[in-house]
Amino acid sequence: MKIQVHYDRCEGHGLCAEQAPDLFSLDDDAELIYHAEGAEVGSEELVRARAAIASCPVAALREIP
Amino acid sequence: MNRPGAVVIVGESIAGLTAARELRRRGYAGSLTMIGREPEGAYARPPLSKEVLREATYEAHLAYPHADLDLAYIRSAAVGLDASSRIVSTADGRFVPYDALLIATGADARRLARTAQAGELVLRTLADARLIRRRIERARSAIVVGAGFLGLEVASACVAQGVEVTVVDSEPPLLRHLGPFVSERVGAHLTRHGVRLIQAAEHVHLVGDPVTGVALSDGSTQSADLVITCAGDVPAVAWLSGTGLADSVGVAIDERCSTSIPGVYAAGDVAYLIPGTGERASRAPFWSNAVAQGKVAAASILGEPRPHPPRDDYFWTEILGLPVKVVGPLPVNGDPTSIEGDVDAGDAVLRWESPGANPTVVAYGRKVPVGRLRRALVRAAP
Repeated sequence: MKIQVHYDRCEGHGLCAEQAPDLFSLDDDAELIYHAEGAEVGSEELVRARAAIASCPVAALREIP
Repeated sequence: MNRPGAVVIVGESIAGLTAARELRRRGYAGSLTMIGREPEGAYARPPLSKEVLREATYEAHLAYPHADLDLAYIRSAAVGLDASSRIVSTADGRFVPYDALLIATGADARRLARTAQAGELVLRTLADARLIRRRIERARSAIVVGAGFLGLEVASACVAQGVEVTVVDSEPPLLRHLGPFVSERVGAHLTRHGVRLIQAAEHVHLVGDPVTGVALSDGSTQSADLVITCAGDVPAVAWLSGTGLADSVGVAIDERCSTSIPGVYAAGDVAYLIPGTGERASRAPFWSNAVAQGKVAAASILGEPRPHPPRDDYFWTEILGLPVKVVGPLPVNGDPTSIEGDVDAGDAVLRWESPGANPTVVAYGRKVPVGRLRRALVRAAP
């Protein structure tokens, strides 16, 4: 699976970075950085990736096949 | 470390689930039972009054994942607590023992209907949101009772679907929390979008059985295809009756989310922090507080120091395309002490500062990441 980040929806809550710190972080300006843009999420990261998707209160993250 | 052998969380809510995740993250490997009355399990509630009222497909994004948490689920309401024997009883007849209990049952919508008056619509659960969405699709007119955040979000959803909306409240929109400056501008924004605002002299009554409208104290009546009550919430504490844990405000907790009974903790909309001298006891039923308290409660259950205070004064809303984010204590009074940007264009950051108090910052229509707003707050602090 891949993760699609809707940057227009993102409000910078940062919960995804807490759930999956290897995939997400916030920069110094509190803007979201997704570290696997366009890439497949590795199997070892799947659980954390889905937790990150679900933790987002504005549903800015979507799982795409 | 003296860790509990069995932890029971009552309330499959953001507070309850955050606590469960935090317990596991802190290495708790013991028994963890989640008792909740939501048939479909935990889901995100903030979108219920926003996206879910507009698009059914959004429901696919609501569920919180929990498969990795090794939870035992009881999908039935808790109906009683015997704190001396440490047992929770459920509607489906179970008796669930605990060493540590977290009360995270949240709140229910406050209702205005008389007993046995049918057809009152409220918005609190996914089932409520689905029902209102279906009704909006068929309605030409709607009355929203309550000009708080929830009421204005529901009114926004109605306008987006071409439904004529009247919002009734005894106070101007958002006045109670955001003061006259924001209230006046939000009122103008609503009026520009065709929303009719009625300021009732007193509290309104629902009329009809099933409900068809509202009666104002001047004797006039307003009716519509759809009447939705958005008049706040009440803590879900009926199951705690007889324990002394709940009063008319909710369940009192201290800075560690402990209640008055050892081994019993509370977090989220059901709870309120014991006020300081001269402060009024009140709940702050916002999503960010539920998250903060869920984490603090988990640390306390394990006998570990709390990671941060059990409060997080932040919330966001969206009123007819106007996003509003608020960081800091409420209510604010009077005009902001500083304004950056253009308020009337919906592109501003407002700030209220007063000596000796934490400042409050409001992003009014301007898209500012929450982290930056929080930092603005830190910078502004004396």
